[in-house]
Amino acid sequence: MRFLKRIAAAAGIVMAGALPSAAQTLTVWHDLGDNGLKWFEAMSAEFAKQRPGVTVKSLSYPTDQWFGRVISALNTDSAPDLIYNNYERVIRIQDQTGKVSDLKPVLGKVTDKAFLTDDDLKVATYKDRQIIIPIQRVQMGFGVRKSWLDKVGETFPETWEDAKRVAGKFRDNDPDGNGKADTFGFALEAAKPRDLIHILDLFSFGTGLRHTLIDPAGNITIDEPRHAAVLEEFLKTYTSYKFVAPDTINHSFTEMYQVIEGGRGGMFRVGDWNVKKWDGEKVLNGDFVVGKWPKFAADETNYVVIGGMRGIAIPENAPNKALAQDFAQFMLSKAAQQASLDNIGAAVRGDLDVAALSPRSQYFAKAEAPLIAYDFPEAVHPFYPELEAAFHKKLLSGIAKPPADWKPFIAETAREMRELAAKLKAK
Amino acid sequence: MTTTLETVWHNRIFYLFVLPFAVLTILFGVWPIVLSIMVSFTASATALRPNPTYVGFANYAAIFADPAFLASLLRTFLYTAVAVVVNIGFAFGMAVLIDSPLLRRGGLLLRLALFLPVVTPDVAGYVVWRWLYDRSFGAINALFDTVGLPAFAGLTTGPTAMISLLIAELWHHAGFYMLIFHANLAIRDRALEEAAHVDGATAWQRWRYVILPQLKPAFIINTVYALIQFLKTFTVVVVMTKGGPNEATNFVSYYAYQLFDQGRYGEATAMASVLFLIVIGVSLTIYRLGDREAAR
Repeated sequence: MRFLKRIAAAAGIVMAGALPSAAQTLTVWHDLGDNGLKWFEAMSAEFAKQRPGVTVKSLSYPTDQWFGRVISALNTDSAPDLIYNNYERVIRIQDQTGKVSDLKPVLGKVTDKAFLTDDDLKVATYKDRQIIIPIQRVQMGFGVRKSWLDKVGETFPETWEDAKRVAGKFRDNDPDGNGKADTFGFALEAAKPRDLIHILDLFSFGTGLRHTLIDPAGNITIDEPRHAAVLEEFLKTYTSYKFVAPDTINHSFTEMYQVIEGGRGGMFRVGDWNVKKWDGEKVLNGDFVVGKWPKFAADETNYVVIGGMRGIAIPENAPNKALAQDFAQFMLSKAAQQASLDNIGAAVRGDLDVAALSPRSQYFAKAEAPLIAYDFPEAVHPFYPELEAAFHKKLLSGIAKPPADWKPFIAETAREMRELAAKLKAK
Repeated sequence: MTTTLETVWHNRIFYLFVLPFAVLTILFGVWPIVLSIMVSFTASATALRPNPTYVGFANYAAIFADPAFLASLLRTFLYTAVAVVVNIGFAFGMAVLIDSPLLRRGGLLLRLALFLPVVTPDVAGYVVWRWLYDRSFGAINALFDTVGLPAFAGLTTGPTAMISLLIAELWHHAGFYMLIFHANLAIRDRALEEAAHVDGATAWQRWRYVILPQLKPAFIINTVYALIQFLKTFTVVVVMTKGGPNEATNFVSYYAYQLFDQGRYGEATAMASVLFLIVIGVSLTIYRLGDREAAR
């Protein structure tokens, strides 16, 4: 009996010691991989200076698994304290669970937040709820192989006409000097809806258009003259211009990266998160210039595109909700944002130390080029993914069997999209 | 009832050993299927909530009104029919070749060459095939170019993409079917062939009337297995074409996956359920037909 009492007492002591520290651990689920783990580790150390005894533990899942785990955890009251991902993914979580907190009051208490723009806050809002606190702007610029430009005697393309001329030379003039005709003007993608439309988004927004397919009022925009001009050139890039690898119709992100990193595509999208890897000796070794997207008309402006927003969200049923809210506020602090820039290559603050970054990373970090935000139609039109999938199908049919004249094709596509949007809206 | 209970009690040790596996099968095999079918009757936006909204057959009505799904279903049937015939035919031919006394020396090597792809991870194999077909740097077009043949469009046009997938899948699966045929050939009763030979049957007659009937079990197993395999074609599409070009290889499994990716869980699981019913129906029909033939 005495022995049992001793065991019980020892267990009590152990439990007493363990319980408080367990209550001070915040769990975050994200999909940022190793860089994300390092980032949250760095933030945890900084946060512990303000809140001694608090540890932030982050777990990274592949994106598909992240969805499944978060949805089931929120629906079964076994949620983590915080979830971190792109805004459109958090929208899907909210649609499936209805358990993502409204963070308006949490952000309201942050005093140092002037760096957040109206666009930042707009994208963080879904059905009148602020579902994320914006933490990292996703910037995407236009990249060109520097050594190839030198080889063909060109400079960074400013206009679409420049880009076409450079693309032709990259395809025909053996810019990598290996004696083979194995290079292409652009490295693009087309296979999945988000692949093709994402690239069209970049070309459209990069030249100053405000919507790719649909505006916030629900009007289809693709046959408006400026939009139609960009769309026609975009489709020709995949077809008659022969600027991309013939297999591009089946290329998704992985294959597009293979073309870029394998040294076969001369012009490509550069995301702020790509730079760290592509600066690496065994990848592009920094042999690329980042700049604004080409403009399609002389009176337009070139832009770098803000193509997304990553942010922190808190489940309604988070086990340590108050502490999670404190940490979410802390993620906008200079220390946390510096850790974000150093580990992920993106942030929302503009007052961070960028001296240690490469010129290409600095290009994004300083945000000196004109920035234009993607219009985030998912946040306005819940049916957008379905509409986008249909738009993708239609464009792919054109790429697979290019018409002699793209103008009637674009007009027909616009009509079909209008009909579908009306149908989906009525659902 | 009493008799059943008595039988169970009499075989209690057997049932005791079977129980854990039965529980595991129900838990990880049957229950997910039941759940998936349940999701197919819910509104997508509420599908994964604890109290989803049930919409009856609305998702089934929606998919059968979707021309893309019907096209995908037709495409899946067409691909399956061709793939089953090609795979079974090729595997049978190879098994006969290996069984031949003429190939006593190279038999092991050929068997290895045919079976190795079966144990190769499918994703790795299909990635290599994708590279082989690549129009700008693939080995197939390099070879065609060297011998002066016109370029093969590979994965970039609809018809050639179908053929390309078929070849890649043949490479991956045929070895397994070949092994089943080979095993059946090895255990056949050779005395029957000798008797037929003595009775004056020609080589063709011996094959047609003595050997082939003995291979019926292998044909049934292989056909059912191949039908299930090709009706569910998925990995090769994910790796090589992503349903393209222009939907040409968008089979039902991949189409359902695409909808799942868009959060359209109700319609996606309705498609999966339809495919499941087709697979079950086709498999049972073939087994029934096989049994009926055997009973004659």
